[in-house]
Amino acid sequence: MKDYIKTFLNEIEGSLKNLPEKEIAKAFNILQAVYERDGRVYVFGNGGSLALATHWVSDFNKTVFSHHLDKQIKRFQAIRIPTTESELTAWANDVGYDMVFLGPLQNYLQENDAIIAISSSGNSLNVIKAVEFAKKKKVAVIGLSGFDGGKLNELSDAKISVPTGKGEYEIVESVHAVILHLMVKYFKDYFDHIMERKQKNS
Amino acid sequence: MILVRAPLRISFVGGGTDLPDFYHSSPGRVLSVTIDKYVYVLINPTPLVHKFTIKYQKTEFVDSPEEIENTRVRATLLDLDIRKTGIEIGSFADLPAKTGLGSSSSFTVALLKGLNAYLGKNFDKGELAEAASRLEIELLKEPIGKQDQYAASFGGFNIFQFNEDDSVDVESILLDYKKKLLLEDHVLLFFTGITRTASSVLTDQKSKIDKNFDTYKKMADSVFEFNELLLAGDIKSMAKMLHEGWERKKSLSSNISNSIIDELYKAGMNSGAMGGKILGAGGGGCIMFLASPEKHAEVRKKMNEMFKKNNLSDGKEIPVRFVQSGTDILLNNDNTLNGF
Repeated sequence: MKDYIKTFLNEIEGSLKNLPEKEIAKAFNILQAVYERDGRVYVFGNGGSLALATHWVSDFNKTVFSHHLDKQIKRFQAIRIPTTESELTAWANDVGYDMVFLGPLQNYLQENDAIIAISSSGNSLNVIKAVEFAKKKKVAVIGLSGFDGGKLNELSDAKISVPTGKGEYEIVESVHAVILHLMVKYFKDYFDHIMERKQKNS
Repeated sequence: MILVRAPLRISFVGGGTDLPDFYHSSPGRVLSVTIDKYVYVLINPTPLVHKFTIKYQKTEFVDSPEEIENTRVRATLLDLDIRKTGIEIGSFADLPAKTGLGSSSSFTVALLKGLNAYLGKNFDKGELAEAASRLEIELLKEPIGKQDQYAASFGGFNIFQFNEDDSVDVESILLDYKKKLLLEDHVLLFFTGITRTASSVLTDQKSKIDKNFDTYKKMADSVFEFNELLLAGDIKSMAKMLHEGWERKKSLSSNISNSIIDELYKAGMNSGAMGGKILGAGGGGCIMFLASPEKHAEVRKKMNEMFKKNNLSDGKEIPVRFVQSGTDILLNNDNTLNGF
């Protein structure tokens, strides 16, 4: 049993050590620029990835500003799509599952937004369709993928791929959670620093 | 209505090596950052007014693009073949023109982005920077380089490399917030109150590029060292490099500095600044210092005294923050209207 656990943890450790730091830094810059121009961040994925997207939205919109919730500072506008299960099932049932992200994204997406697409294989058709739409609109794409990165990694501006063997969903999704929390932590520290500076100067 | 915003920029090292007369022989490089001061361009269809309405310091109200006096607007409309009347173009800015912060190119970039959106076209950052450079350098024959168009289009801290074949490599500097804010806390920016057009300084500078080739080469290479200092957060060494770079740049043309600029710079250095430079082509515009935050009050006081002494009534400090965003469309509700 202990060996089994150790093996899994070693694989996670190996993936964490090989993460593309530069691409994660690019993602920070994309999010910073969106914040400055009052744009929105749309985030999506299937299954566990959709759960990660939902979790990240609450962290990014609220936890980033946790230490300053009483202050009137401009916050992030991160939105998970589809925003309701009604919309999800309407697109899936009436049009097709490949439209569940692209459908809602077409209603919202403006040039000054950014998207975060999450797909372990990097090849989920519904994710790729939404990403292609964003690319056509010249909207910045942060892509979180795994395995060999797939098409998502090719299309993304910030290519955050967790290199693993094919089908290693548990590793990829676990590491995706780490990367998403890193984004939250970075901006939380950033805004704390800005607020401290403001207080010092006033 | 379409509203576009383009940031101004501060160039730290390498300015001048973006002139084709240099980079056609050896790669030019500039390291710059965009700041939270912007040029705005607003484009509004006026279906009931069959005119071209151009609003800046003055208002033009004409029947065809050829009649427009504003050279940039005229050239852009003609180049994009926008001949149908019923369009209004307005420009707004956080700062006056000719401050050495690249505002005229920021305007061109914003205008091009906006007019292309008006035509339903969408450029990526590289295409936009290239289109603005082509307009200013090839069509308007301005004796300038490409650094400002690229800085405004891309946004953030970047190294631009201008290659012999006229291509441009863009390397985004991935600087964490601690280093960025540390540098911000050391920067002091002053508008000298002296304005000049970049063209007047650059024309003389350009004619002497051959003679000063080695100096230009050093300026282009200094970008690498500055980048390392930036990533290490070594403000003192960055300030020293800026100082040396400024001394070097002054030797390129007698128009780059003058006795008042020299006096202002010396005053800043003597009151506690660690280094600095004139921003833009030179001859006027803005002066930037790096100084420890505790020295800021002293430098500020001294500079205000110097502005008074030299009758520079427009001389004043410009508080500045670095920004990551480049040229952005803040509003585009043309399509919404079409839906009704």
